[in-house]
Amino acid sequence: MIDTVKKIKLRNGNQMIAEGAIYAGCKFFAGYPITPASGIYKGMIDMLPQVGGLAIPSPDEISAIAYCVGASMRGFKSMTATSGPGWSLMIETVQYALITETPIVIAIVQRLGPATGGATQGAQGDILFSEFITSGGYTIPVLYPTNPKECFELTVKAFNWSEKLRTPVVLLSDKEIGMTTETVDYSGLEFLPIENRKTIEPDELIDKDWKMYGFDNLGDVPLFAPVGGKIKVTATGSAHNKEGELKKNDPETISILKHLEEKIQAHRDELVEYKFYEEENAQTLIISFGITGRTSLEVFRRLKDSNKKASVLIIHSLFPIPKKLLKDVSQRYKKIIVAEENMNGQYRMLIENLFEGKEIIGVNKIGSMITPQEILEKI
Amino acid sequence: MEKLLSNIDINTECTYMTKGVQMPFCKGCGHSHILRKLDEALVKLKLNPEDVCLVTDIGCIGLADYLFDKVHTVHTTHGRSTAFATGIALADKVLASKKLKTIVLIGDGGAMIGLLHIVNAALLNTDVTVIVADNFLFGMTGGQQSSFSPIDFITQTSPLGNIIPPLDLCKVAVSSKAQFVARKISTDKDLVNTIVEAINYNGFSLVEILELCTEYAVEKNKLKGTDLVKIAENHEHQLGIIENKQERKEFSTAYIEKFFKDRLELNLFSNFITPDENLVDFKSKFGTEQIGIIISGSAGEKVQSSAAMLCQAAAQAGLFTTQKNDNPVTQGSGFSLSEVILSSNEIYYTGVDAPFALVIVSNDGLKELISQAVFDRVNEDTIIIYDESLDIPIQTNKMYPLPLRKICGPDKAALGGIDVLLNLIEPFPLNNFYKLIEKRFGDYSKIYKADLIGMITNN
Repeated sequence: MIDTVKKIKLRNGNQMIAEGAIYAGCKFFAGYPITPASGIYKGMIDMLPQVGGLAIPSPDEISAIAYCVGASMRGFKSMTATSGPGWSLMIETVQYALITETPIVIAIVQRLGPATGGATQGAQGDILFSEFITSGGYTIPVLYPTNPKECFELTVKAFNWSEKLRTPVVLLSDKEIGMTTETVDYSGLEFLPIENRKTIEPDELIDKDWKMYGFDNLGDVPLFAPVGGKIKVTATGSAHNKEGELKKNDPETISILKHLEEKIQAHRDELVEYKFYEEENAQTLIISFGITGRTSLEVFRRLKDSNKKASVLIIHSLFPIPKKLLKDVSQRYKKIIVAEENMNGQYRMLIENLFEGKEIIGVNKIGSMITPQEILEKI
Repeated sequence: MEKLLSNIDINTECTYMTKGVQMPFCKGCGHSHILRKLDEALVKLKLNPEDVCLVTDIGCIGLADYLFDKVHTVHTTHGRSTAFATGIALADKVLASKKLKTIVLIGDGGAMIGLLHIVNAALLNTDVTVIVADNFLFGMTGGQQSSFSPIDFITQTSPLGNIIPPLDLCKVAVSSKAQFVARKISTDKDLVNTIVEAINYNGFSLVEILELCTEYAVEKNKLKGTDLVKIAENHEHQLGIIENKQERKEFSTAYIEKFFKDRLELNLFSNFITPDENLVDFKSKFGTEQIGIIISGSAGEKVQSSAAMLCQAAAQAGLFTTQKNDNPVTQGSGFSLSEVILSSNEIYYTGVDAPFALVIVSNDGLKELISQAVFDRVNEDTIIIYDESLDIPIQTNKMYPLPLRKICGPDKAALGGIDVLLNLIEPFPLNNFYKLIEKRFGDYSKIYKADLIGMITNN
């Protein structure tokens, strides 16, 4: 029998990210306070000790993420949370996690930039900034919920992908989702199975030619060995061969640099997360995400009593860009509206080449949330 | 190379270094010497290879990784080695085997980049040993001056002699409450013993080892190894073991005592609100499925917590709610504001474009509503409940000036205003709201100094 009893709590997105992380098996969190992400830090400080984990304050964001990477190398699921200014400082170490194939989840709760910007003002200005931060242009999976329930669920997915692919994963949020407290029905939560990184065990060394960064095919993920375990770890943030020895441009080293991207691309179809609200006779498709995704849903609701029609596609996996999905879904529409709370239409700039021959309209704004009316006017 | 560290018998091997490996350093460089002494120290300690992790970063000393093939090695970004090591050590000591010895090898350039990481590792007193190979310059990039270069030191970037005094890292470490701090010369006969003591120390330890870069320092500055003592003395940088005490607990001991003893088991899935079954039909009651209410007052006057009570009562009645708080960056002064939406449907858009009601209880709150241009968004039917002392810049059909601050007191003015609003519109049965109020403030009949609700119902 389906449990129809509602289980309500008043929760915000930040709290639900913290709860999702606990459910996903996160055992280490290092935090540095920053509005609007501090709620995640506070949630982890309160909860982690109760599950035998360690949550620790750090003196800056560089230390916070480096502590997390260290703890992950020791074998524990780790997370930190920040906003644009802190993300700026973390970028060096995100790249280190990427090249050392160290799983880590970073929650970015967006606020108005640039620089210190508006600490308590929401924004969706870090769409490009969350992704394009590596020298070499590597793909960092970016997941973006629209409400507290999805915050929980996508946090679990972020950990699962980070573990499975041994790579940093960004969980993108924004001030409006992170700090708005709302009714959350836990009876509707989806509890995904938890995935853990695949490890090499000492007795497997006999018949496996295991290497620190070894793989057969470029898209494979190496088996993990923790620092402090019986198997020797040779980790490095410099270009290296499969044994982890520093090398520059020999073929094996170059193949590793390609593998770092290829292992993401090999899973790009599985990484796709979205919700599609289809209106049969609509000729307009609204594409959005995060807080503006919710506003788009409100538009969808209001259009029910109107002559105008539009479908809504909410993208949860912003990166890798779900190109096939966008092409398939957009096919039958004449007009594509991309709504996002930033100045230039950051995501639109990346995807508009997928919609050849269609009318493409951006709804963009900074300084306050995009309203349903502002989207309705463009339909 | 033996990949299974647990197979290595250090009693027969007598070294942690890679067999037959050539030191990658210039002839006479102190780095070779320091690394051999580190190896000797590890042999003396007879640590299990799997229980040792060397963390290095950029610069000549950072080439040490591949010289040590019988321990874990982690090569990191410039200056950050201590931070990564801290994460490794924290996780090991609190969450895992508790046996790992984490040793950082860093140069003077990296030590300055990562000074904060050294300071914080010392403050935490986590079990990390930082060995600083201090040759007063950046060797790998061509001999540029560093923050550790002595006065008058000639380098590529201080051709006329350095005019910036060198950092006394050991003093910084001591100020950071480090409990084992030493400054040694690379040729000191007892260097091995000092490294042994540092690694053995249960907590943070730092050993700064002075040496000369044969390629870039010796000839230009006409220096010999024997001049190192003089360089230290000239700058009043103390040599030898500077601090050695065990007054503070190693971090994991303190953490485990504080947080793991008598710890509560976490249950994320308890304390739910089970909503009442008789849902209110907003559409027939208000002609709309959701209503937005803005409550605005001053910081410290329980505006946001009163709004939270409203939301909780609404949730108990089966309604959907959102609450968005706003206040100045300095949270304890100025305005405090909550935007609340109550809805009989799931709430997608969380903005309050056209407020159904305003509750304004102080001048700070009024000024903020004006600054956010909220009055441009009200219509003639917007309910405005406000303290009678305030001068509201607009007139609607539903104005309720009340002595909220006088009757309720400043800290319950917002609550009183909400109470008035709920009595006016009854968006849900009010008994839940009164139960919440009484739980927090006691007997309802004693909360306000006069009959607040009577003032509107009698009109």
